[in-house]
Amino acid sequence: MNTFFAALSSGTSRGAIFALVALGLVIVWRGAGIVNFAQMGQAMFSTYIASTLINNGNSYWIAFFVALISGAALGAILDVLVMRPLSNKKQSELLSSESMRAAVPVIASLGILGVLQALAGIIWAAEERGFPAPAKQEGFTFAGNVLPFTSFDLFVVLVVSLTLLVTTLFFTRTGIGLAMRATALNQEVAKLSGIRTNLTRTISWAISGAASSLAGLLITPTSNLSPNTLDLVLIVGFTAAVVGGLDSPAGAVLGGFILGMVISFVTFYDTPEDVFLAILAVLLLVLIIRPRGILGSKDARRV
Amino acid sequence: MLKIENLVTRFGSVVAIDGVSMTAQESKITTVIGANGAGKSTLLRTISGLEHAASGSITWKGESILGKRPEDIVRLGIAHVPEGHAVISELSVEENISMGSLFRRRKNKSDTAAAMDEMYLLFPRLKERRKQLAGTLSGGERQMLAISRALVSRPQLLLLDEPSLGLAPLVVEQIIDTVNTLCRTTGLSVLLVEQNANTALGVADHGVLLALGKVVADRPASELKADAQLRAAYLGY
Repeated sequence: MNTFFAALSSGTSRGAIFALVALGLVIVWRGAGIVNFAQMGQAMFSTYIASTLINNGNSYWIAFFVALISGAALGAILDVLVMRPLSNKKQSELLSSESMRAAVPVIASLGILGVLQALAGIIWAAEERGFPAPAKQEGFTFAGNVLPFTSFDLFVVLVVSLTLLVTTLFFTRTGIGLAMRATALNQEVAKLSGIRTNLTRTISWAISGAASSLAGLLITPTSNLSPNTLDLVLIVGFTAAVVGGLDSPAGAVLGGFILGMVISFVTFYDTPEDVFLAILAVLLLVLIIRPRGILGSKDARRV
Repeated sequence: MLKIENLVTRFGSVVAIDGVSMTAQESKITTVIGANGAGKSTLLRTISGLEHAASGSITWKGESILGKRPEDIVRLGIAHVPEGHAVISELSVEENISMGSLFRRRKNKSDTAAAMDEMYLLFPRLKERRKQLAGTLSGGERQMLAISRALVSRPQLLLLDEPSLGLAPLVVEQIIDTVNTLCRTTGLSVLLVEQNANTALGVADHGVLLALGKVVADRPASELKADAQLRAAYLGY
């Protein structure tokens, strides 16, 4: 019974982080129509910035907010410097077909990931370092028993729930959310409606950058920080987004929790070696039964 | 109002618009007719900024709009309804319409809401379906939605590309009637591109006949309609 609760609580906090990563992917997908593989590179970079600030004697919360802001800024810079010129129709013959216009930015995002990892290696050296948590990592006690659920886990779950709520409201209730969806779905009609599509896309990248920085800040206390630590998180986060439905924020969070639970229960009841097999099994199962993802909308385009 | 001079638009080595000069008069319906591939859609797309002109000039109220972006041209009062019932199927009817007024709602909050209501008065069927996804609408309703999306920005000039495409004659008549009424009652100027020359010349004040990117005739619509020779040579009936 104890193993069950341990697995459940570890699945919850892990799931919350995967949900956050998936949410970041969904935001760029819905706002710019691109799967951004550089996302965890951005997260790693801004977490390093936070870590440097803390090492220099600043408080956790200053570092926390500076990391979020620099994550947003990095997202915006990447869009303006790399993605905007690439998605420009006049750019080159290479982009003459629709499928190339969709594929080239995705490949570019992989390139950005490589550059960010190399840069982090140069600036901060590639050694692993720890990263502090904002809340105690000791389990709650209930009726004299120490539960495997810590205050930090609670913090993670709360932050992720809040982020989901805010992004969902933002997408469905605000004008800029509508402008973002319109831009991703049909750029031409969006432009003719007076939407500044370039600006709108940059805003999507900034918001997604902040969300993934948040994921970086929340996962590194349990996994340490190095240029490559977050690669695995991205793979699971991407799978979570596909499982839940790439165009649905709620689906991303659901997918994140499902994978968190799968990973955690496989680790506790079976062996950690089987984790990837289990992830692939879940992905295949969902793609066979419901190719658009659990909460994906009917018209969502495929990757 | 809108004045086009010696306009040339190219796609690579293909010249789609080859030295077109014409005007769209204030509070009038001007129609551009011609066979498939005559350059009618390209003409509208160049005006609204979706395509770049190679040379020539487009002036709107005395100012050049050539080289401006589509999102800025809308702000100057020119709204474009592109070919093929251009709505976003994944968004609701209401979202599609309000999308057209996003850019002006901060400055004219009350008028933005009023403009939405006017669209529902104009096309009551859209009001019944306002929570539905645009993808679930019929072709005629989609065209009404595309027009509403453009009108809600309160344009002075409406560029309308093939509104009759793929629609039943009765629906076409209803849509053309609505546009005609709007022009006569509110003073909206309309530049209507049509392959269906009979319908277009029936409501238009002025007609421009395009063939292979060049202006072949530029006359009052009634004259153009009566010219059997031109019709036989360029429109095939």
